[in-house]
Amino acid sequence: MSGAGTETEEIVVPDTVEELLGADDVRPDVPWIIIVWNDPVNTFEYVTFVFQKVFGYSRAKARRLMLEVHHEGKSVVSSGTREKCEADVARLHAYGLWATLQKDD
Amino acid sequence: MARTFRRRRGGRVAVRLSPEEVELLRMIARDVVTIICAPPEGEVGERLYPRAYLDPTEEQAEQDFRGLVHDDLVEQRRSALATVLDKLPPTDPTVEVGAGERADFDLDADEALQWLTALNDARLVIGTALGVTEDDNGEFPPDDPRFDLGTCYQWLSYLQFELVELLLDDLGEDGVDAT
Repeated sequence: MSGAGTETEEIVVPDTVEELLGADDVRPDVPWIIIVWNDPVNTFEYVTFVFQKVFGYSRAKARRLMLEVHHEGKSVVSSGTREKCEADVARLHAYGLWATLQKDD
Repeated sequence: MARTFRRRRGGRVAVRLSPEEVELLRMIARDVVTIICAPPEGEVGERLYPRAYLDPTEEQAEQDFRGLVHDDLVEQRRSALATVLDKLPPTDPTVEVGAGERADFDLDADEALQWLTALNDARLVIGTALGVTEDDNGEFPPDDPRFDLGTCYQWLSYLQFELVELLLDDLGEDGVDAT
């Protein structure tokens, strides 16, 4: 965490609300991503179904992401604002998928 | 094994269960409701209600997220399992277990989705408790203490596979997103 030693820094007048708040993760231009992690219980077909249902993806895209989860251990399945990603992670959890969100570094 | 789920004309899903299957599913659903509503500490609870943020510096966001969605998620799961239990014919105490009538009933689209997620929640609970892997898929040797529950798990997997195939057909091949 930063905060100490600010006396040596120049005072910068914030010109946006987001800067004023100092939390760069609420800036709409910082993308967040949703990662779905592999697990031994959810089946290929079920995960494909959930990706189609939650994100409206085509069968082909849903299958491609599902296979990436299976082979790579995880896949970035969507991106957007923090609020949107939180809402979609909640939906994925309701379907029993192991999903997390994080800033896209 | 006979099919449990079939597509009816008009979009409903027909379900057919033997008397033994009715009792087994009832027993599983009742047990899983208890665990969903008050999960034990450890892997099962963590798997049912995973963190949304892995980053420990996002602990406040994690707590806020949990505060916002957790109760709804528990209720959603309880309600889906209740839909399963409601559809099963009641137990007749005068009839020996497994000697009752087989069950034939229909699910509408919403009920079918509830059955699908309820079956998956049951698989999550049992599969996590048993420590199933992608190699065994719940299939254990007969002398393994996990054999019986593993057989239940495989049966639930089979049921869920049939149902998800029907529901995948409903969604079709095309997406509705712009990407």
